[in-house]
Amino acid sequence: MAQMPGTKHMTATPATRVLGAVALVAVLLMVLLGLVVSPADVVQGQAVRMLYLHVPSIWIAYGAFVLTSLSSALFLIRSRRRHDGGRHYDRLAGSAAEVGVVFTGITLATGMLWGRVTWGTYWQWDARLTTTVLLFVTYLGYLALRRLPAAPMTRGRRTAVMALVSFVNVPIVHYSVDWWRTLHQKASLSVGRRPEITGEMYWTLLYSTLAVTIVASWLIVHRYRVIRLEELRDEEALEALIASRLKEDDVQA
Amino acid sequence: MDLSPRHEVENPGELRRKVHRNRRWAVLAATVVLVAAAAFITAQGLRNATLFFRNVDEAVEQRPELGDRRFRIQGRVIPSTVRSESGVTTFQIIHDCVVASVRHTADPPELFASPWIPVVLEGEWISGQAQTAAGIDTHYFQSDRMLVKHTNEYASVNEQRVSEKLPRGFLNDCPFEVPAAES
Repeated sequence: MAQMPGTKHMTATPATRVLGAVALVAVLLMVLLGLVVSPADVVQGQAVRMLYLHVPSIWIAYGAFVLTSLSSALFLIRSRRRHDGGRHYDRLAGSAAEVGVVFTGITLATGMLWGRVTWGTYWQWDARLTTTVLLFVTYLGYLALRRLPAAPMTRGRRTAVMALVSFVNVPIVHYSVDWWRTLHQKASLSVGRRPEITGEMYWTLLYSTLAVTIVASWLIVHRYRVIRLEELRDEEALEALIASRLKEDDVQA
Repeated sequence: MDLSPRHEVENPGELRRKVHRNRRWAVLAATVVLVAAAAFITAQGLRNATLFFRNVDEAVEQRPELGDRRFRIQGRVIPSTVRSESGVTTFQIIHDCVVASVRHTADPPELFASPWIPVVLEGEWISGQAQTAAGIDTHYFQSDRMLVKHTNEYASVNEQRVSEKLPRGFLNDCPFEVPAAES
């Protein structure tokens, strides 16, 4: 947690302020490229512009869930070695999962709007859409589990296990369009496959992915610090209660 | 260690239990809702997701088993075959050189107008003679729901890529003449 002179608890530092400013500029440029500079699609027309938010959002969600899983695994390893160890990994897992859920939600919302324009329907239970909404619900469950009242280390272990189990669905979501027949098109960007997107649209998509990554990083840093502040608040409240009880005992004695 | 202030609360144990009970119920209710949602999604997925549609060639081959059952069929619309009259759109779809005649009774989505667009149609086989690019067929597909299945190919509207709207070689091996695209 960073503290500025004259302020008690802050989630910002000079570095994250710069990161926030960079994120803002990056998003403004992304809007300009996505809505003005890049051309309309020969088949989809203006609806193709949804691509620049929809595709980066799911990539960021995947990345956030990878971070959640890695942090959860490290927390489990560290907490076995030391009774109170590795809580920063638990915080990182929680903050990344929150951001992942937000971006999965954005993916679903933009996908539904895009689907209405192109497919002619908001929703169909095909393999890609079904596994994506399952991913969303699973990680919402993970976040609900984090709110269950329990000792921090116990809760951390429970949620770490759930994070690792939930991650199984991530590759299923990504490869669902290859494994099953879906209404959803194949992946727009895929490692080892030539993109089927022409120049300006391709570069706008890559740039949008970078811009959304910066925004997600900024969000994860701040959510991490908010979780740390919540823990500090709880610890301070506990210390105050102990002090109050000790004072009562002194008076009675 | 019980840290509840003794002088303010008559029965701190009961208060603590009540707070925990309320919180537990809220979490339990949220968990039940999430589990029910996951179960619903999984059930929907198992029913629909694995075989969302049959391609034209498979639907024609499986015609005897399909009977009058509703299912989804997928193929590319042959542009020169599209006709609209009194709210009914007729056209032909092709996949792997197998053609089916379609009679669609609802409004098609906007992108249906794009040449060679792949579509997924929901409906059933109806017995009746139909002329297709491949010859006379004994059935046509009666559909009341159309979804446009766009690909992951994106091209600038400024580019002239009409010839690339069909995957290379899509019609090469067809033993019949497919009517040329109008655009």
